[in-house]
Amino acid sequence: MSSETLNLTLRVWRQPGPNTQGAFKEYRLNGVNTHMSFLEMLDVLNEQLIADGQEPVAFDHDCREGICGMCSLMINGQAHGPDKGTTTCQLHMRRFQNGQVITIEPWRAAAFPVVRDLVVDRSAFDRIIASGGYVSVNTGNAPDGNCIPVPGARQEVAMDAAACIGCGACVAACKNASAMLFVSAKVSQLAVLPQGHPERTSRVLGMVAQMDKEGFGSCTNTSECEAACPAEVSVAHIARLNREYLKAVAFADR
Amino acid sequence: MNALLRFLSVPAQVLSKVPGLGPVIRACSTSVGQKVVMAITGLSLCGFLIAHLAGNLQLFAGEQVFNDYAHKLHSLGPILAAAEIGLFATFAFHIGLAISTGAMNRVARGQSYAMKESKQGIFIIPGGAFSWMVVTGFVILAFLVVHIVDMKFKKGIGVDYTAALNAEKVADNEFQAVKAVLSHPLHALIYLIGLIALGIHLSHGVRSALQTLGLNHKNWNFILRWTGFLFAWAIAGGFISLIAWAFAHKS
Repeated sequence: MSSETLNLTLRVWRQPGPNTQGAFKEYRLNGVNTHMSFLEMLDVLNEQLIADGQEPVAFDHDCREGICGMCSLMINGQAHGPDKGTTTCQLHMRRFQNGQVITIEPWRAAAFPVVRDLVVDRSAFDRIIASGGYVSVNTGNAPDGNCIPVPGARQEVAMDAAACIGCGACVAACKNASAMLFVSAKVSQLAVLPQGHPERTSRVLGMVAQMDKEGFGSCTNTSECEAACPAEVSVAHIARLNREYLKAVAFADR
Repeated sequence: MNALLRFLSVPAQVLSKVPGLGPVIRACSTSVGQKVVMAITGLSLCGFLIAHLAGNLQLFAGEQVFNDYAHKLHSLGPILAAAEIGLFATFAFHIGLAISTGAMNRVARGQSYAMKESKQGIFIIPGGAFSWMVVTGFVILAFLVVHIVDMKFKKGIGVDYTAALNAEKVADNEFQAVKAVLSHPLHALIYLIGLIALGIHLSHGVRSALQTLGLNHKNWNFILRWTGFLFAWAIAGGFISLIAWAFAHKS
């Protein structure tokens, strides 16, 4: 069992802006409560920095309950830290040892430029979604619930894909900085449902084209993304993305 | 790196100008499309390996059987030449795309991590076979050069071809040529290294190619994973058994 409080050495990536040179900076943080989340530990660090008259560390966060996809961080070389199926905000300091050195880096990908310190610009994901990750719905009265029957097993597949929170851990963990798991989840969640059928071919072609345009890498099927994914999205969705792509290329109407 | 990518995209750009080919080339040029071509060429090369091993296992049937097979193969003439050109083209696509996607992936990372750990379990080979695809690929390519010089041109350094190149016979004694090369210690070592690299390459490559072509289902994954692994080492082991055979029958 770890002690109730930890004394840590933090190696944090500091970078003042997008086009400036960054570097690691070491901070000592004493008396860290083991019940804190990783982000709360960073809050405490920032309070210490502000009290010392220094610039606080910028990092992304929002809901702090593992569902929004805003938090990130490469913690000791692992996306969202050492736990499987966990976001950084749900990672607790009891996973660390007293006296440990913790290296904290931003996601590294050409398509995710650093904005400041640990914050990266993930709007590439938004542009991929905008290029096809939607369904068209007529305005007017709300349609009847369950008027289009969907078998339970299909719903489960769609729901597993929809578990993706778009945090970018797949890109961060992949040795190729590939966004294939993200794109495959966003293609799959709609491809398996009848509601997603009208845009099925244009969706996969549009999203793959945008993914390439953003400069993400290609997939070498290492499954590192699946292991790193806090929502545990399976690489089976990447196989579906490939099938959807091949079908769209071979049989699309135009 | 970007200059390399521009250079490697030239064939695709030229081919896409050919009337009727444009849409196909464009579909094959995306990140998904390139991997699909990679998978299809890789599996085609696996098909070649099966045929090549099946032919060579006839070494076990003796000198007469193997030489008859070799002569029959060589007497195909233009068909064999066409098959060889097809084989080289397949290799060229496979290797060219490996370099192109590899360069693309390096550019996609940008700045590398100061520290990077895997969340996957322990692998038999450090980092997993997939971390060695480029390395093993180039080892296999180097081995292929030696192999073609040894067997096709019969110019293997230090190999004694006297039993194989008999001036009175119409054709070379391929059985003796194979035996002479494989029983030479240095060449046997090169072949062994090449074949182990091939085993590692295929143990990821086959399963990866099937995944790229969309084969992933929980009912099938166990079989697919083991088929890929066993296929890889059956091919590598099959060829390695020929080296053992050559040493056992060293004259």
